[in-house]
Amino acid sequence: MKKLLALLLALCMVLALCACGSSSGDAAPAADDAAPAEDAAAPADEAAEAPADEAAGTIVIGVYEPLSGDNGAGGKQEVLGMQYANAMTPTVEVNGKVYNVELVISDNESSNDKAVSAATKLVAAGASVVLGSYGSGVSIAGSDTFAEAGIPVIGVTCTNPQVTAGNSHYFRICFLDPFQGTVQANYAHDELGAASVAYCLGQLGNDYDQGLINYFKQAAEALGLEVVTESFPEGNSDFTSYLTNAKNANAEVIFAPTSISYAQLIIEQAAAQGIDIPLTAPDTWDSNVILAAAEGTDLSISVSTFYAEGGDPAFEEGFKAWMNADATALANNGGNDTIAAVSVMGYDAYYVALEAIKNAGSIDPAAVMEALPGTTYTGVSGSIAFDETGDAIRDTAFIKSADTATGEWTFVAEQSVG
Amino acid sequence: MGKTLYTPSEKRAGRVIAVVLLAALYVLLFLLDNVLPQNSFTLMLIPVLKKGAIYSLICVSMNLLNGFTGLFSLGQAGFMLIGAYAYAIFSIPKAQHEAVYQYFHGGVIRFSIPEALQSVLGADLGAFLGAVICIIIAGLFAAGFAALIGIPVLRLKSDYLAIATLGFAEIIRAVFQWDGLGVVTNGSNLLRKYTSFSDIRVGSLRFTTVFPFLIATLCILLIVLLINSSYGRAFKAIRDDEIAAEAMGVNLFKHKMLSFVISSFFAGVGGALLAMYQTTIQAAAFKTAMTYEILLIVVIGGIGSISGSCIASFLFIACNEWWLRFLDSGSFLGVSVPFFRDGFRKVVFSVIIMVVVLFFSRGIMGDRELSFAGLIRRLKRKNTAAPAAADETGGDAS
Repeated sequence: MKKLLALLLALCMVLALCACGSSSGDAAPAADDAAPAEDAAAPADEAAEAPADEAAGTIVIGVYEPLSGDNGAGGKQEVLGMQYANAMTPTVEVNGKVYNVELVISDNESSNDKAVSAATKLVAAGASVVLGSYGSGVSIAGSDTFAEAGIPVIGVTCTNPQVTAGNSHYFRICFLDPFQGTVQANYAHDELGAASVAYCLGQLGNDYDQGLINYFKQAAEALGLEVVTESFPEGNSDFTSYLTNAKNANAEVIFAPTSISYAQLIIEQAAAQGIDIPLTAPDTWDSNVILAAAEGTDLSISVSTFYAEGGDPAFEEGFKAWMNADATALANNGGNDTIAAVSVMGYDAYYVALEAIKNAGSIDPAAVMEALPGTTYTGVSGSIAFDETGDAIRDTAFIKSADTATGEWTFVAEQSVG
Repeated sequence: MGKTLYTPSEKRAGRVIAVVLLAALYVLLFLLDNVLPQNSFTLMLIPVLKKGAIYSLICVSMNLLNGFTGLFSLGQAGFMLIGAYAYAIFSIPKAQHEAVYQYFHGGVIRFSIPEALQSVLGADLGAFLGAVICIIIAGLFAAGFAALIGIPVLRLKSDYLAIATLGFAEIIRAVFQWDGLGVVTNGSNLLRKYTSFSDIRVGSLRFTTVFPFLIATLCILLIVLLINSSYGRAFKAIRDDEIAAEAMGVNLFKHKMLSFVISSFFAGVGGALLAMYQTTIQAAAFKTAMTYEILLIVVIGGIGSISGSCIASFLFIACNEWWLRFLDSGSFLGVSVPFFRDGFRKVVFSVIIMVVVLFFSRGIMGDRELSFAGLIRRLKRKNTAAPAAADETGGDAS
């Protein structure tokens, strides 16, 4: 009996090892392709043996995103945009040669301690450029691995200034926290009519929440508001006392830059308590999950985000059709076809990457990195160009509010900071 | 429980083999860092080896407490947190303070031990010595805190001790995230830019993988020596029967405290190494889930087996972060498999762990150790048992 078990386990191990062999085997050709493709492709071209429409090789674009953990939902939506872009434009022409673009997705589990191996997986896969990540913490944690390998990274929706500051390989196509915090404060003051007290609620230990609250506070205090801030511990599910505190402080606006899972609870409990203070939140809340939670309540919820519905009807139609045709994609989007702003950003990031590869005229990561600062692209979310730190030059955010009757976003305003 | 006795010649030969294998391992690691070509295999191997070595140390430190002293403590993540933060705070270079402590005006601790040493001893030696000193400081901070909370906590037994230590680990995390301490801990934000493994080098020679192995081996060796000393025998006596141990003259509280503090010291060292490995550190990562992960490795390896903990660490990290990743990729051997989706890896991983725990109810090694002396004897007798031999090769990393 014991021998049988030992045998069984040995078999399990062999299977696991086989699997490891195959996965590295899978990745190896890709890596091999990437490196010698340039040399190999050149003679093939000279000999004119390869037909013009046949791909000269494969370019690997790494996708470094959370597909599980706290930010799994947002990460999946961001990846959807990239996958749709990849489905639309599966090839890229570099110096007259057509390459297939392969997306290699690596799950960083929203966790900094998995970041190194997740990033290394993309390095091992021979990525020319990497897209990601949703969440600034994991982006910073994976940054050094990419820097050491000399691979450029395009941040999609990581908004912390520290992601791109002080390095030359990290770029980003979205706006930053200081900008968004100021936009939110201006909006609360100008549009929501907050004149004396604002209440901020964030998660303890979450750098995204605390960072935004910090910038919101600075801007709001400059506008003459008194700001009350509170933090809730991780895993908290009862927000009644925080909401009561907001009410007792006579807050005229609640700014809650929390992740989606907490946002849902906050909305439900605010509705149950009959809170009539307007809620405002940054880009994380721009999700159909929030809409579903807000539907049928009397709350006023607004978000600042990267993209407003109706900005590009042709894109929206195509993306919705693509999602509806694929049950997995639809499930990853949260079950319906409402377009999240992060998906749009993922879509644009893919094209920025292609543009940079074209400009570089090479699939070598170093060449792509050199080409990226000068790359410009006009995407669905607006025109994208990089400043000297590698951040996108963006001066407007879209403000949307949730229509609680229909469960859809309604466009409110374009807010910019002068 | 019966311990096999070996003749001095067998012991000596076993020791020689262990040293030779260890030396071979280091040569291999050095080659991996410097000479061997970077392909998809070696690229993935390096982080797995580094993290495996770090987890080995952390798991052995937990095993010292749980497996050898019989104190069921769940505070490991808290002590790692202290170690990681102590390491990071004292080794962030001056020029980076403004950027790292962006919301706290550059923080209050405005010196860096590696930087100070680098200015005296040169870049390479300074970084190495600085890192080692900061690692020791990390361990001391963790040990000091353990001594503090050990006074009330160690009067509790079994489950109550587990709950109390778990609570303390959570409190530590909350305190480190508190804005009021932000000028030191950076609140909820990341600490980064401190000395990491890639800074450990001599000229152009890199020691990024050798360094964590060196520290981990040294620490595990110290723990082994401790366990084989009279203190270690007292620990085991407490584990087996507290009343009998007390009757034999073992001072219960003193020995429990000793075990708790030493275990926390090495957990702090492990935390510092983890900080070096990750290059960024954030308190939010040191959840109770991390303690459970470590406990799981200890149980899988065998409670009360040092080599078991080491083997299990490497297997666990490799499975979790490398071998099973293909399950998320949507295809297997070029064939697309629809249920190979995000998260499927975790399902398979959980099943494997359940199988191991069900069929090896005492872990991979039970409470036995890998012993080269035993291997020699077995080879001499020529009636070798096949399954044991398979394990021996994996164990030389310990």
